[in-house]
Amino acid sequence: MDFSLLTTEILVALIGLLVLVVGLVLPDRGKQLVGKLSLLALAIVLVYALIAFPREASYFNGIYQVDVFGNYFKILFLIAGILVMLSASKYIKRFAAKSSEFYGLMILATLGMMVLSASGDFITMYIGLELMTISFYILTAYLQSDKRSSEAGLKYLILGAISSAVLLFGMSLVYAMTGTTIISEIAGAWTMQPAMAAGLVMIIAGFAFKISVIPFHMWAPDIYQGAPIPVTTYLAVGSKAAAFAALVRVFMLAFPPGSISFNWNIILAVLAVLTMVIGNLIALTQKNVKRLLAYSSIAQAGYILVGLVAANTYGLKGVLFYAMLYVFSNTGAFAVATAVEVDAGSTDIDAFNGLAKRSPMLAAIMTVCMLSLAGIPPMAGFVGKFYLFSGAIQAGYLWVAIIGLVMSMVSVYYYLGVAKAMYIGVSIDENPIKLDVPAQMALWACLAGTLLIGIYPGPLSNFVQTAISMFL
Amino acid sequence: MLSDYSSIGIFLLLTISFPVIALVMAWMVRPKPKQTEEKLTTYECGVDTKGKTWIRFRVNYFLYALVFLAFDVETIFLFPWAVKFNSLGLFAFIEMVIFIAILVIGLWYAWREGALEWH
Repeated sequence: MDFSLLTTEILVALIGLLVLVVGLVLPDRGKQLVGKLSLLALAIVLVYALIAFPREASYFNGIYQVDVFGNYFKILFLIAGILVMLSASKYIKRFAAKSSEFYGLMILATLGMMVLSASGDFITMYIGLELMTISFYILTAYLQSDKRSSEAGLKYLILGAISSAVLLFGMSLVYAMTGTTIISEIAGAWTMQPAMAAGLVMIIAGFAFKISVIPFHMWAPDIYQGAPIPVTTYLAVGSKAAAFAALVRVFMLAFPPGSISFNWNIILAVLAVLTMVIGNLIALTQKNVKRLLAYSSIAQAGYILVGLVAANTYGLKGVLFYAMLYVFSNTGAFAVATAVEVDAGSTDIDAFNGLAKRSPMLAAIMTVCMLSLAGIPPMAGFVGKFYLFSGAIQAGYLWVAIIGLVMSMVSVYYYLGVAKAMYIGVSIDENPIKLDVPAQMALWACLAGTLLIGIYPGPLSNFVQTAISMFL
Repeated sequence: MLSDYSSIGIFLLLTISFPVIALVMAWMVRPKPKQTEEKLTTYECGVDTKGKTWIRFRVNYFLYALVFLAFDVETIFLFPWAVKFNSLGLFAFIEMVIFIAILVIGLWYAWREGALEWH
């Protein structure tokens, strides 16, 4: 076994611990240093992960897999983590004495996501999932003086624990029926029996909770609104992508499409349709941008799920492609919301009034990101949705694709509602919003990512093609 | 086949009748004084509680429990390693040192944060 291929994970674990220790050792918790240190370190790991992308290995009879699919998601998590930390640079002052742990926990959550996306068996998968979610439980309740944050933390803890229990029960049933927890070995070992079906439904439910698919979405709005906004961003972008990575791996390897006796595609199709319709409809009435983005991210999960329903080249490509562009577009939108919240103290839609006059750049980036999420060309979201829905049509799920397209149209309304407030709304406060350098870097990166992927999707598309080659 | 089940049935009847007979015998033999309030209260060891028992407990209990858990898990992993120490060799030793180092960082953190102090 060549452990050097685990360098990415080992480095991230080391950085996480190092940040904790630095916060303990240095006076004043090394406030200035910790942020820069973790950003620099993660940037180095990102470069390494990009170089190490094609390397593959299998550890301990397949319980841990280093493969292009997992490597792709590792790169995605690192990008998301770096962008979120950059955009949070000013917001972190609210954490006062606890800012060094914020970075530590963010990095450990990233490590959990990496393990989740690269695990080849159920138990490792569960460990990665818990490392990620436990870090998020703490991060969600991070604003100690804010009651809503504590409430969100507690809610997430209780609901998350239930969903983990359901997931574990499902995994144990599948283990009971097949005698193995290794995902690739399950493929040849299962027969369709009631207990097996129950196990699979529970696994779907457990992951559906993490990706906030309706009807397992009830936690998302409250927690997205209550949590500190950088944590919300990472929750929406990172934890969702990680759960999707695990879901794709489980279903494509253990239950390859075409196996007649269990048609999971249709279950996921119903969930995806429900999610797209209800998520978008509820988002229409939201008056708080954080909450609006929460419902929008529920709807986005529905779109991404369509790709897994299709389970063909286009569909899977769409899942990975959309997950990546979602990092840029959603983080961009949240980064603007962060800047507004730091300035105005609220994320109500009124706080965005007249933003175009106060800070044209913020308003422009928000608009571009929102249009990308709505799927308007030439933004990246259009290309992503093109892949997802053409995959669905090819696989014969025309009705899913049509509902998806109609709901994308509906979503334009509420996305543009924010743009309307920014460009037409009038604000009493005329002062421009001051941004610090890291937040500006994050915003520009999100804008560049959203536009570049949209105008020139070729390189990312090839990248994604390589990443999914192991499934098809 | 049927006789197999009959033995189970007899066993079942015996197990059910045993407690029933014991309770009925005790009821017939024992003295039956008048029921007072004292007789009807729940029998418990110790003193009666003063005030409500639904109160908030200090969070420190949980902090101790968490730190204890770290050591508990550590011991679980140390035992098999210690038993097989000779055959596992240097690689496992280094692995164990890394494992303990991670836990020690956790303990150090808890200590510095005052989780072990009772304010």
